[in-house]
Amino acid sequence: MASADKPINTDVPEKDVFTLHFLQSLSNLRRQNTFNSPEKTNDRVKKIKKAAYVSMARAAGGTNRLWSRALLRRAAKENSKVVRFPRRKKRVTCLRRRRSNRRDPVEEEEAERLRNLVPGGGGMETSKLMEETAHYIKCLSMQVKVMQCLVDGLAPK
Amino acid sequence: MDYISPQTYNSTLSFSLSLALNPIRKDKSSKFLNLLSMDLTGLKWLQQHQQMVSPEFLQILGSDGREELRRVESYLGNNLDELQNFRPGYDTIDGCISRTSSFQMEPVKSNEENRVVALQNKRKPEGKRETREKKKKIKAEDETESSMKGNSDMSNTETSSDVLKQDYIHVRARRGEATDRHSLAERARREKISKKMKCLQDIVPGCNKVTGKAGMLDEIINYVQSLQQQVEFLSMKLSFLNPQLEFHIHELSSMMADQRSFPLHQQGSLDYSVINSNQTTSLNALKMETSLSWDVHSQCLYNNLRTDSVFSFFSLK
Repeated sequence: MASADKPINTDVPEKDVFTLHFLQSLSNLRRQNTFNSPEKTNDRVKKIKKAAYVSMARAAGGTNRLWSRALLRRAAKENSKVVRFPRRKKRVTCLRRRRSNRRDPVEEEEAERLRNLVPGGGGMETSKLMEETAHYIKCLSMQVKVMQCLVDGLAPK
Repeated sequence: MDYISPQTYNSTLSFSLSLALNPIRKDKSSKFLNLLSMDLTGLKWLQQHQQMVSPEFLQILGSDGREELRRVESYLGNNLDELQNFRPGYDTIDGCISRTSSFQMEPVKSNEENRVVALQNKRKPEGKRETREKKKKIKAEDETESSMKGNSDMSNTETSSDVLKQDYIHVRARRGEATDRHSLAERARREKISKKMKCLQDIVPGCNKVTGKAGMLDEIINYVQSLQQQVEFLSMKLSFLNPQLEFHIHELSSMMADQRSFPLHQQGSLDYSVINSNQTTSLNALKMETSLSWDVHSQCLYNNLRTDSVFSFFSLK
């Protein structure tokens, strides 16, 4: 057991970082030239959504956070791209620890649902999950604000 | 500073000394001796764990303690004979006795205090010890209060002495809870989790009304789900609004103008007046969210966007 009174760090970068990343990803999308068929709106929507998440993950700290790392990995798998992550000091997967700890049953149901929502939640302990959720919520709300402003900016005048 | 109130100190001391100094019953004093002999094992533990300290410990007790003891005995007005008999064979026990008497003196290491208090606890047969503390620094007031009520048997003192470790999470064992290692770890873990849930509670709006872990977790899950749905909805809106995904500089500047406060008109060659008139309502709404750094950053961003490299990035049609 480590001495544990470190303040939990859930700092999130400013809006403009998110904006920049999002706009970059959107312009990349546009460059790929897959938007000539306006019928398939679903695909487009999905692509935009994915671009939003990926840009959020990159803006929020890249591979420094567990959830962003898991998000990027998931996205890269879909594109069948090879993504390289810099080596971290600690191992990310700690599934063994998860089973050895005794769990409170009521709490664990909820934690399961949370794990399904937060990317990368499957491999985390409950306390780590809470930290990641906090950071994830902050980043998500920032991303929502950015997208809202963009939509407002693009609204017909 | 750690010290005990004079009344409790006197009462415990008087009780303990009366046990020892009762001239009529020798068996009682032998019982006392037995108790003290049990303490020896605890002292041996102490010696094992803190080899540096124990010689000093004994020295301190040896030199000061006897004087203190004499002082107390004169105060109580008892015969010293019985006590003198005990002395030669039991240097360490002498140390223990004197430790109790000089308890008020200097703040010594907490382990020693724990031992002393454990000794005091032994002499009190009534009741049960209410709280057992496993913290490194023990408040003497709490200890003596509990010792007044309490009696701790051998196992208690052993476990409480066992847990004094360096650089560990300090966990308070409450009444009626087990004090073995696993439940301690479990409790520490639960406290960590609840601390983090409090952090989450600050972030998620509307969590204050619901209490309890389950309700709060429900709220958090709902919030995350709603945020994700918002992202999806906004992306749908974006795709409909701008099918070709062109991003003119106009769009960009208008979006950034939403966030800006007013004094940024010098930026430009763009037609701000048209844009601003349409965006005033949103601007007012968003003004509350403006942060100072956003202005600075957006200026840099806009300057970056005006350079040639980025211009090609967002090509105009």
